[in-house]
Order: sequence, then structure tokens, then C-alpha cells
Amino acid sequence: MKSIEIGCRPNRRKVLTAALSIGVASMLPGFALAASDGDPAALAFDGDTILLARGGLFVSDNGGRTWTATETPGNVLSLATHRDRPGRVVAGLAKGGVSISEDGGASWRVSDAGLPDGEINAVAIASRNPDMIYASVRGDGLWKSEDAGATWSLAMDRPWLDDAERDPLALASVELETGMGGIWIYAGTEVGLARVPDCFCRWQDVRPGNAMDSLVAGEAPPSEAPLPGGEPILSLASAPSAPEVMYAALPSGLWASQDGGVIWQKRASKAATTVAVHSRNETYIAALLGGILKISRDGGATWIETGER
Amino acid sequence: MPMNKGPKNRLAKGTVRRSVHLAALVSTLAATGLVVLAQSEPVDPRVEGLTFLGEPVLAAEVTAGQRLYADNCASCHGANLEGQPDWRRRLDTGRMPAPPHDDTGHTWHHSDRMLFQITKGGVGAVVPGYESDMPAFGEDLTDAEIAAILVYIKSTWPERQREFQAEVSANDTGG
Repeated sequence: MKSIEIGCRPNRRKVLTAALSIGVASMLPGFALAASDGDPAALAFDGDTILLARGGLFVSDNGGRTWTATETPGNVLSLATHRDRPGRVVAGLAKGGVSISEDGGASWRVSDAGLPDGEINAVAIASRNPDMIYASVRGDGLWKSEDAGATWSLAMDRPWLDDAERDPLALASVELETGMGGIWIYAGTEVGLARVPDCFCRWQDVRPGNAMDSLVAGEAPPSEAPLPGGEPILSLASAPSAPEVMYAALPSGLWASQDGGVIWQKRASKAATTVAVHSRNETYIAALLGGILKISRDGGATWIETGER
Repeated sequence: MPMNKGPKNRLAKGTVRRSVHLAALVSTLAATGLVVLAQSEPVDPRVEGLTFLGEPVLAAEVTAGQRLYADNCASCHGANLEGQPDWRRRLDTGRMPAPPHDDTGHTWHHSDRMLFQITKGGVGAVVPGYESDMPAFGEDLTDAEIAAILVYIKSTWPERQREFQAEVSANDTGG
């Protein structure tokens, strides 16, 4: 492995147009165009280590000040880690399939038995079970592996939003009770947020837990402040230490929720392409904002730019 | 950004009357049991390890539920509770096919109260605005008949699924 410094670039997934990416990024000091401006980007915390996938895979053990290139399993579209399984990193690949590392990214094994062809837009590890892995296959659906990636089976079709099926661009296992003996899986799509219980009965909107009570009682519905409509949700993160705390990366900025995604507030106005939250501290987050990797230790109230060009 | 359109008037109507109907249902089930007890010799046995809304279930209820299931549910959910083919994939309409009610599906993840509400009021009774091909059976079946169908379905589950669903039901506080 070699130590390098990361020049941050505004890009993630093909949902963002290249023109938008270039337009935003070219306004940033010190910005350098990527050889391919369609490169995806993904972030994850593995303990205190930050992993950044963008054109390669890089790790930082000092809060993003310096980075080390590590073995990459391919062009990575999405990353997932788990607080109870240090070193396990799940990577969704642009060429299709999932690769899994058990040593923080130093080595990888391919995990695609049963998975259909197609980009893996998003991956997540079940909050209560580090061997349960979810993967969203572009144009297909949500797949799950109950054996740490050894085998895969279809969990459910894609969410239905605005009269069409939508690919999840981001997934998060959110350890909030569904009332059905399990927890929720949230999906960010091109047009909005949806969630499904982990029994996979049905995709549905995110609603306050007491919405039905209010309806029955004839009372005013509980307050809601959803994410802005019509924007792709490029990345989602639920804090393992406080699952009701969530973050979402959108072109309009970095958004945060304190109640499991019912009410959202903007925490940064620059275009956000990916976000990750520390497993033990729900206020410690890393995000690509306007193409720059930034760290916040206070839930997004203030940000520190990391790394040097 | 509502995910789906749905029968909201039916939803409101069904949910407002929910608590009244559930209370009546328990009474009806008890009365049904008494009638069955009066007609059966020897005493109609309870089905071991099976309850509905906290009440024991009688074998006659399961038998009645099996017949009602065949008449009202099997055309979509399958004669053997197997659901429609490829039920995890959407239909061209965007709606989901009828899922299985056996242990391969997700029915056993839902509480007694939720299963009753869905059957009586449609899926929109528990997920506002959800669009589904499943009708609300509240106009066609009595509460006792709906309950009988559900206890029949529950009676087919293996022990693990039964125990899981019993715990989900016990933890369902009615919110």
C-alpha cells in the first residue's frame, strides 16, 4: 500500500449528471477534474477508520488527514460496515456482484452466488445481524444474503414511487422496531425515500409512528418534514448508537433527521454525494460536500475540511 | 409524496370502528365457542399452542376457517396457501401479487390485530394509501368469519413461526 493524498471530486453514480458535477466542482479551490467524472463515491466508518471509495479504495486512520490506497475489488459504487464485525467491509461493484473483506479492505472475496447481473447501487448490513447483507441490483430489486454473502436470494422488488419502480441508490438498515418483530430497511431512490420492514411485506412511505392513532382519533396528523421531492437520495446513514438519527446526501445538501426520517433539516448546503456516520458517536459524520471530504463532530452543525491536495 | 393512492374513506371508516369491532370479535369468538361446545360431544378441544387475540382457539373454528379460506382467499393466495407465482415481483400494474400465507411468506410477522385489520379493512387500514389488489372483506364476512380464516392460516404454521407470531402479537400494543 502507498500513502497518498486525496483530491476530492464531486461525483457519485450516474444519477448526477456529469454537467452538474463539473459545474459544482469547478468552482471549488484546488479542484482537479477526474479522468472519468462519472466515478462513483462511497464512504463508511470501520471503527475509527474511514473508508472512501472513489476511483479506488482509500483508508484513513486519522480522521481523514491522510489516506492510504488499499486493494480495490473493482469500481466500488457502495460500501457497508458493521459495528459488531470490525474489519468486515461489503462493497457493491459497478461491474455487478458484491465483494467482501474481513480485514478492512486489505483483501477481498467475491460474493455473487445467485445474484443477477447488474450494478450494485447500494449495500447494507443488517443492524442486528452482521451476516445479513442487503444489495440493490440496478433494474432488478433488493437481494439479501443470510450467510455473509455466500448465497443470495431475492428479498423484494424495488420500491414504487410516483407511479414507477425506483432503484434504491442508497440503503440503510435502521434499528427501529417495525412492530412486526423486526426493523426497517430504508431506501433512497431517484425521487424520494421509502422503507420496508425486514420481513419484506411492503415498501411504504416514512410516517410518524402515531400517524394511525391520529387518523383514528380524528386529530391533526403529526408533523412531517420530508426530504425535498424530486431529488435523488444518493446516500443514507443511520447511526448505530442512536438509530433514530439519520443522514441523507442529496444534490441540495446534507440533511439530518432526529426521528427516523420523519422530520429532516438541512445541515450543509453544498451538494452532498455520500455520507457515513461513526458507529459509536451519532454526531461524528463524514461526507463529500461539493466534492470535498469534510468531517463534522457535531452532527453537521460545523464542518472541518480534511486532507490536502 | 404519497406512495400510493387508496380507499381512504374505507380506511377511515374501518379504522375508526376498529376497537369496537375487536371487542365485539372477542365476544363473538367466545359465543361461537359456546355454541360449538353445546353442539359437540365430547367437548370440542382447544387447539394446543394456538390463540387469536389472546383467546384460545377451538378445532371447529379452524375447520370453519379452512372452508372460508377456500371460498374467499384461495383464488389469490393459493389452495395450499402458497401465494401467487413470483410473488416478490410486481405485477404490470405496479401492485404486488398475493403473497403466500404459509411459512415461506411474511404473514407470520404480523400480529393478530394487524392481520384482522388488513383482512377486514384492506392493506390501507394499516398502511395509509397503500394500493393493493386485496379487497377489504369487512362487507362480506363477519368478524367471526375473518377470525376463523386467520386461525386456520395460523394453524398451518410450524412451531417456530407460531411462536414468533405469538410474540409479535403479545408485543402489539395497538398503536
